[in-house]
Amino acid sequence: MMTKYSILAALIAALGGLGAYLMLPHKRKGTRAGLAYKAGAQAAVLALVLFAALLSPLADFVATTFFDLFAVAAVASALLMVTARDPVHSALWFASVVLSTGGLFLLAGASFLAAGTIIVYAGAIIVTFLFVIMLAQMEGRAVYDRAAHSPGPATVSCFVLLWCLLASIATLSTDTSGPIETREQQFRAETSFSRIESLVERFRLHKHSAMLTVIDQASPATNRIHGGEGAEKPQVAGIGGSLYTDHLITAGLSGVLLFVALVGAIVITNPRPRPQATGRGQAI
Amino acid sequence: MTAPDVFTIEILRNYLLVGAALFSLGMLGFLTRRNLIVMFLSVEMMLQGVVLGLIAFGRYHGTWTGQIFTIVILTVAACEASIALALVVVLYQRKSSLDATVWSAVREADAPPIEPVEAEAEPAVAVPGPESYPRLIPAGHEPEHSRQATIERRT
Repeated sequence: MMTKYSILAALIAALGGLGAYLMLPHKRKGTRAGLAYKAGAQAAVLALVLFAALLSPLADFVATTFFDLFAVAAVASALLMVTARDPVHSALWFASVVLSTGGLFLLAGASFLAAGTIIVYAGAIIVTFLFVIMLAQMEGRAVYDRAAHSPGPATVSCFVLLWCLLASIATLSTDTSGPIETREQQFRAETSFSRIESLVERFRLHKHSAMLTVIDQASPATNRIHGGEGAEKPQVAGIGGSLYTDHLITAGLSGVLLFVALVGAIVITNPRPRPQATGRGQAI
Repeated sequence: MTAPDVFTIEILRNYLLVGAALFSLGMLGFLTRRNLIVMFLSVEMMLQGVVLGLIAFGRYHGTWTGQIFTIVILTVAACEASIALALVVVLYQRKSSLDATVWSAVREADAPPIEPVEAEAEPAVAVPGPESYPRLIPAGHEPEHSRQATIERRT
């Protein structure tokens, strides 16, 4: 199973790297640019199909379909954003990435953040559009948009990173059950059995999930997604409750950070006037 | 829409895989593209990849912490956007170009210079439709005018 995933991850990285390399705008002149782009697109589509095969199916068929749809759309738009010649197209593909990840947020039950991300990034993309129209379009199709900066080494390093990440994440599993072999394991099992009785009396235990049981004890009630009766808390109330109790300092620091960034942006865009070379200062 | 009742490790794994792919592709865009605005968008995309992982981990552990972190990341992204776009405006005023390699003089003293890549590029593909204009034969000679950057002209 593990070797299957490793091979699949290596194939995805190799094909995706080849496709991305061919799709990137290159320095060399020639009429074969369009041909290389098409070949790269085919390799990238193959890599995407393999990537979809790497995703494990969920319990629900509809959820699986939607997840795969959003995931493939996000990754494909990301590739097209990186390789688009026109910065306006890049911004549009980025909008597509944000919409797809918003769908993935919804599937993970983070509906407030899905809406928030889409609203915030929609604003950001409009601002980017403004910048592109103000600055880039004045010169027409710029040379630097049609020539990538050292595409070979960059592609290799990025897809080696992708290969490492995919290979290590794809082999994740919780199945650590096995026979007790060493004395240490025996000792640990015995001590935990002796403590179970007190645990049952004091805490709410989760069936089949030691992790949820531990988290239930470790985190305060405001930080848990599920309320006392096991039902999910409402999104905004839950996030707000946690943000302004458990993460109060974080919220304050975020405000400070925003203020500092505001001041920084103003200072950067309005440079201080140069000291006047008149003799007024010396006269005083 | 509600999340599945049991957010298993398989679902977490799927989210982490998509996040990893977005992160690597964003890194590729940041390293290869020369347009400052596209580089900025690539960084935002790397953040999106990280956020996917955070939300999936938060749901997997059944706590709000992942979503709170995401809100913090949104804040940081807003700050980054304001500073980055301010810098883009200033840099554009200096050199009248969004190219990042124009600024290769700002490097470590012992680093090798990046070779200037000015004229070499892929041929521009003419987009059919109202956006592509016919190429007119120039009439008369081009008058002399300054090609200096705007800020130099102003001072």
